[in-house]
Amino acid sequence: MGGFEDDEPPSKRARASSVEPASLLDSFSCLKPAAPLGSTMARPLPSQGKEVMVGSKGVIKRDEFVRIITKALYSLGYEKSGAVLEEESGITLHSPTVNLFRRQVLDGNWDSAVVTLKKVGLLDENIVKSAIFLILEQKFLELLRNDNVMGAIRTLQSEITPLGVNKKRVHELSGCIISSPQHVLLGFSKLGIESSNSRLKLLEELQKVLPPTVMVPERRLENLLEQALTVQREACYFHNSIDGLSLYTDHHCGKDQLPSCTVQVLRAHRDEVWFLQFSNNGKYLASASNDKSAIIWKVDEDGELLLKHTLTGHDKPVMMVAWSPDDCQLLTCGMEEVIRCWDVESGKCLHVYEKSGIGLISCGWFPDGKHILSGLTDHNFCLWDLDGKEVDCWKGQRSSKTSDFAVSNDGKLIISMNRESTIRLFDRETKQERLIEEDNTITSFSLSEDGDFLLVNLISEAIHLWNIRNCPIRVNRYAGHKRSRFVIRSCFGGSEQAFIASGSEDSQVW
Amino acid sequence: MGLLFVELLPRHGDGGGPASAVLKCRRCRVDAASADAILSRDFRGRFGRAYLFDHVVNISLGPNEDRYLMTGLHTVKDIYCSCCQQILGWRYEKAYEESEKYKEGKFILEKARMWKEAR
Repeated sequence: MGGFEDDEPPSKRARASSVEPASLLDSFSCLKPAAPLGSTMARPLPSQGKEVMVGSKGVIKRDEFVRIITKALYSLGYEKSGAVLEEESGITLHSPTVNLFRRQVLDGNWDSAVVTLKKVGLLDENIVKSAIFLILEQKFLELLRNDNVMGAIRTLQSEITPLGVNKKRVHELSGCIISSPQHVLLGFSKLGIESSNSRLKLLEELQKVLPPTVMVPERRLENLLEQALTVQREACYFHNSIDGLSLYTDHHCGKDQLPSCTVQVLRAHRDEVWFLQFSNNGKYLASASNDKSAIIWKVDEDGELLLKHTLTGHDKPVMMVAWSPDDCQLLTCGMEEVIRCWDVESGKCLHVYEKSGIGLISCGWFPDGKHILSGLTDHNFCLWDLDGKEVDCWKGQRSSKTSDFAVSNDGKLIISMNRESTIRLFDRETKQERLIEEDNTITSFSLSEDGDFLLVNLISEAIHLWNIRNCPIRVNRYAGHKRSRFVIRSCFGGSEQAFIASGSEDSQVW
Repeated sequence: MGLLFVELLPRHGDGGGPASAVLKCRRCRVDAASADAILSRDFRGRFGRAYLFDHVVNISLGPNEDRYLMTGLHTVKDIYCSCCQQILGWRYEKAYEESEKYKEGKFILEKARMWKEAR
C-alpha cells in the first residue's frame, strides 16, 4: 500500500486494501445490505502523489476503472447501484461542478450552464468556446421554437457571434430567423421535437467536445470490451467458428476447427473425378468425371453424402459443372463437346447447348439465372439464353485447353483467362478492361463469394491472391502444394471465406 | 491422374503476321514448342538430329543427371511429354565448360519425337 502515507490510521489502510477487482464483484452481491450502512461507512481519503493501480500488469488506474463501471451502471438504468458504488468507493463519476453543469443543461438553464462551465477548470480556450457555442446554439433554437424571435436575435448577436467560432453555422442560424415557420420546423426535426431529447443529445455532443477526464464518455466500458473481443478474433489464427464470442473466456479456435480427417469416401464414378462443386445452399454436391458422367450427391442431415442422380448422356469426359443461382439446375460441360443442362430434382436433361463444328470447354451461369456463358475451342466466349439462342459473343485469346471464367454477382464484370499469364477483367457496361499480369502461366482461378478477391493457380506451384475491387493488387502468395502435369484448383472456404483450400498432386489437400 | 493442363502455342503473330510453325509431340499431338523459339539446329540427340530451344511447353522434368556429351560434362534433366510421358529430350541445368554455359536453362528436343504441324 505504498500509495498511502505511513502515518495514516491502520483501519483506513485495511479498508483500502479490500477494494480489489474481486472485492468489487463481492461488493455488488451485497449491495442491498450495504446501502443502509452507507452513511456510516468509512471512506479512504483520496491518495496523494502516486495513483492506485489495479490489474496484474499495473497499467489500469483504479479511479478510472471505477468510473467507467459506474458509468456503465447508470447507462444500464441501475441508478441506485451507480449511486451506491460512487458512495462506497469514494470515487464520484463526475465532480460536483460537472454534475451541476449537466443538471443545468438538462433543465435548460443556459446562462447558468455557461457560467458553471467556466468553473470546471478547462485549460484549452478553444474547447471552452466550442462547448459554449453548442450551449448557446441550443438556447437560440429553443427560443426560436417558442416564437421568442427577439430573444433569439439577442442571443445570436450578443452571445453567439462574439465567440468567433464556427462562422458558417452562425450564418445558417441567421437564415433560420428569416425562414418561414415551416422551414424552422423542418430544421427542428433534425434536432428532435422534444426538448428533453435534444438536450440529452446536446449532452452527448458536449461529452465529445470536452476532455474525457471531465465527463466520462458514453459506453466506454462496452467499447473497451468490444475492442478486446475484436483483438481476440483477429489474433485467432485458425478462426473458423460461427459461434459468437463470449466475455467468459478468451476466444481461440484450435487447429481442430479445420477439417483434417477423411469422414467419407464416395465410390460411384468409374474413372477419375475431375471437378467438384457444392451447390450455393450447400445441400448438394456435383462431381464430374472422366467416365463421361456427372453425379449429383445429396447432403443429408448428418452431413453424409448420398447419391441422388447419375447424369449420363455426354460423349466425352465431363470436365466442369456449374450450379444455377437457385440450385434447381446444373450445367455440365463435356470436354470440347457440348454443354448439358439438367434438372436437379428429377435428374433429366433439359437442354443441350452446342455450336456445330466447335467444341465447348467451360460453362457458367449468369447471376440472373436466365443466361449461360461458355468458353469455346475457337478462343471465343458465348452468351446463351436458356433456349439455346446465342445472344452475345466476344473474342478471347486462349492459351490452354482449359478456360476458366467468372461473372461478378451483379453480372457486369466478366473475368477470363487471356493469353498464358494474363487475366482479363471486362466490364460489359463501360467496356473497360483491366488486366492482371502474372509472372508465370496461369492454370486456373476462382472468385470469392463477395467478388472482391481472385485466387490464381500458377504453373510454378504457387497460388496468388488478388484484390480486384479497384485496381488489381496482389495481396498474398501461397506455396507448398504440388503441381506438375494437371489442373489443380483452389477455392475459398471456412467462416466468412477466410481460408483457402487447394488440391495437390501428392494426394493431399492444402 | 486428373485433368491434364495443356498449353496451346499461338498460331499467328500478334499483329496477324505470318504463321509460325508449331512442333508437337509425335505420339499425342500436344504442342511442345514454337519454331520461333529455335536457337540452333546443329545438335544431336539420342535418336538423331535435335534442336535447341529457349522455351517449351507441356513437359515434365526428370531428375538431375550428370552426362558426358560430345561437348563435355553437363548436368541435365530429361524432359517428357506431360500428356503421354514419352521422352522428348533434355534440359541443360549446368554446363562445366565456360564455352558451353550459354546452354544452361535451354532445352533439347529430338526431331524424331517431334511432328511439325502443317501450316
